[in-house]
Amino acid sequence: MQERSLMFHMIRSELEDAVGVENVSTKKNERAVYSVDYFWLSRKWQDAGEEGPMPDIVVRPGSTEEVSKVLKIANYYKIPVTTWGGGSGSQGGALPVAGGILLDIKRMDKLIDLNVEAGTVTCETGMIFSTLEDYVNEKGYSVMHLPSCMTCCTVGGALAHNGIGILSTKYGKMDDMCLSLEVVLPNGDIIDTLPVPKHSTGPNLLPFFIGSEGTLGIMTKAKFKIVKLPEVRTHHAFLFSDIHVGYEACREIVQAVKPSIMRLFDEAETVSIVKKVIGFEKKGSFLNLTLEGHKKIVAAEEEIVLEIAEKYGAQYLGHEYGEKWFENRITFFYPGHIMDLPQMFGTLDTVATHDNIEKIYRAMKSAIEDNFQENKVRFISHSSHWYDWGAMNYSRFIIDNPPKDPEEALRLHNRIWNAGVRATLANGGVLNDHHGIGLKLSRLMKEQYGPAMQVLQALKKELDPNGIMNPYKLGL
Amino acid sequence: MVSQKALQHAEKCRFCWMCRHLCPVQHQTGKELNTPRAKGLLLSMVSKKSAEFDRDMAQAMYECMLCDACVNDCCTGYQPPLFIREARTEAVVNELAPEAVMQLIENVETSGNIYGTVKPSFAREGTDVLVYIGEVAACKVSGMAKALLNILEKTGIRAKVLDNEPASGAMLADLMGYVEEVTQQASACADAINAAKLPTVVVLDSYDAEIMKQRYAEWGCEIKAEVVTATAYVAKLLEEGKLAPKSKKRGSGVCHDDDRLARSFYEFAPVRAMAKAAGFDLAEMFNRERLAKSCGSAVALGYMPEITIKVAGGRWQDMIRTDAKAMLVANPQAYLCLSQCVPAEKELVDLFTALDESL
Repeated sequence: MQERSLMFHMIRSELEDAVGVENVSTKKNERAVYSVDYFWLSRKWQDAGEEGPMPDIVVRPGSTEEVSKVLKIANYYKIPVTTWGGGSGSQGGALPVAGGILLDIKRMDKLIDLNVEAGTVTCETGMIFSTLEDYVNEKGYSVMHLPSCMTCCTVGGALAHNGIGILSTKYGKMDDMCLSLEVVLPNGDIIDTLPVPKHSTGPNLLPFFIGSEGTLGIMTKAKFKIVKLPEVRTHHAFLFSDIHVGYEACREIVQAVKPSIMRLFDEAETVSIVKKVIGFEKKGSFLNLTLEGHKKIVAAEEEIVLEIAEKYGAQYLGHEYGEKWFENRITFFYPGHIMDLPQMFGTLDTVATHDNIEKIYRAMKSAIEDNFQENKVRFISHSSHWYDWGAMNYSRFIIDNPPKDPEEALRLHNRIWNAGVRATLANGGVLNDHHGIGLKLSRLMKEQYGPAMQVLQALKKELDPNGIMNPYKLGL
Repeated sequence: MVSQKALQHAEKCRFCWMCRHLCPVQHQTGKELNTPRAKGLLLSMVSKKSAEFDRDMAQAMYECMLCDACVNDCCTGYQPPLFIREARTEAVVNELAPEAVMQLIENVETSGNIYGTVKPSFAREGTDVLVYIGEVAACKVSGMAKALLNILEKTGIRAKVLDNEPASGAMLADLMGYVEEVTQQASACADAINAAKLPTVVVLDSYDAEIMKQRYAEWGCEIKAEVVTATAYVAKLLEEGKLAPKSKKRGSGVCHDDDRLARSFYEFAPVRAMAKAAGFDLAEMFNRERLAKSCGSAVALGYMPEITIKVAGGRWQDMIRTDAKAMLVANPQAYLCLSQCVPAEKELVDLFTALDESL
């Protein structure tokens, strides 16, 4: 879009008619704040004084109907639409790389219904997730989605990349928590998924949209299940001799009981970030584990966990470090505690079955440490979300002195990602566990899916034939 | 453009999203621009010459209540209001500030208060304490000021109020940062208070109390008297049994912790003690005490009334979810903002007046 063209102003005026003059902006300052999300490359670009990807026009709808009007306009004129919630995604998924319309949905933050009897809460998706949790906590309940980005991500953002929180091992991730959705399709039609998520009434529509990263439509309302705040929540910590023993013990634990939190740190992360934030000084593989729910059940689960840990020779560290970790669960992500520029860093999170997860850890570690020795790369990892069938690795690389030149840095960054991710794919893992694909991994989607990619492409083609929704993301 | 210290804070905040959930302006406007990280990012861009500090950016720096909710939440000690205030200085110096802001500054220059009117006088002679009324209570919420003086009188305390009470500098500091004009106001105010030679100054508006207690000393204009918030002073009188409210049930209420009591003084109990003494059954809002959401400030109401009323409306929404009948307030600025949008069947109560009525 050429800002000074007659057509630009015609479209702008149409958008103003749809959402109100005060909710449309072409001011450079307002557009510029969307050029940086949590993606390392966008930050590096800004830090180097480069201009990041900016939308042509910012539109802030206040209702589903207004979203619908905007998409009808965008679809008619074939204008790219990038949806922005909190902008806290680490994959560049919200960056308006194709320009066009930036749809900021944070005005849509109403609580629609909190039904304690049904055990559900319904809200608009522009609500900050912690606000939703506050509303539910007020009544003694919780959605139990507590990600590190909880205070900054929107409900829509969490759904768009199928996010996960620290209590996931017991309560699941977004696609376990969300019961139904209202979605505006790219052509402006407003649809509802079925009222319940489990049925035999044809294929479930929910998975088409949860995790679709704004490429297939815009989720505008969501209903979640809620659960009572736990009667007890007890934190524990253990130290294993190494991560191999830790993986074995954790597999056995998660196949016997349901901790809410189970975070196993490799030896490198134990002596770096764990030490820095909670002051734990010993070497080995640190595990913090939390059990919660009814007091009697938790007591029984504790007994089983302690037995399994003992069987694997773990040193029981009591409650202190688990409590400290829980208290500092968000501290890890503040400036000064988390990696920051000028460092180069990235989180290569993946998920696999138990038989593959340690193989992936070792293959990725080797692919990164061996291939990028000259860059003095460091590799750390923990596993923080567990299933009875498998687990995820939250592996990170860090380079303290990356190239200053942003273009050179970009190429190195992508080479590291390619190496790490391909090691994962070769060992039965997937591109990503819970941060999404975004711009960062878009190019690798076809490698991941192979011929199966045509299923996603067919969906995209049918729902968004003009390709206006979040272009260049998710490989679509 | 801004100091190295302010820029360092902006550089840290530009890539940190953690406090946005607490920003009352972001909540009500839904604008990404109205997040602490966005304001830090813009200033960082200016320092790297990839953006220009223009009128639009100046406007963005004024869309903030300076309520300190972000500072209170930050476990690393970075302070968005630090760079936002300095950016406001830059805006004023370069004549980029919004017209409404410049009008308030002109009002302060011509009349000594943001309203540009002659400040009503509450002057009286007394020998026990000095009461500092402040311009918002004097000009807009006079009932609260009268009630405080009545309470003291009923306790037998002889309160002095200055004739031509000078401005504390709190208003000007929010409009243009901690500049020389502000320290000049502070110095004049401190001189006037010190000249009264009374051991205690009871400050009705916690915004004034904050600048007196936490800024004056570093500017070399320390107040010799003990500076006490009016809420803490009255609560102490209650605790010591010097006030004997009649038992009268007034229904359920929630206390709003104003920005400065909540995050500059961490003072929560006195307001609740006053509410109980006035006969209210206390409920609590979920976001309270240090996490209390701002309901706006008098300065912001002056230059951006639409946004400030929305912010006050957001606080009313918090109150409505408690099922309480009344919002209880002991700060004139909070009272003024909340009074702009009282919901149907809800009541806004000035706690000083309520307590006075119960005596």
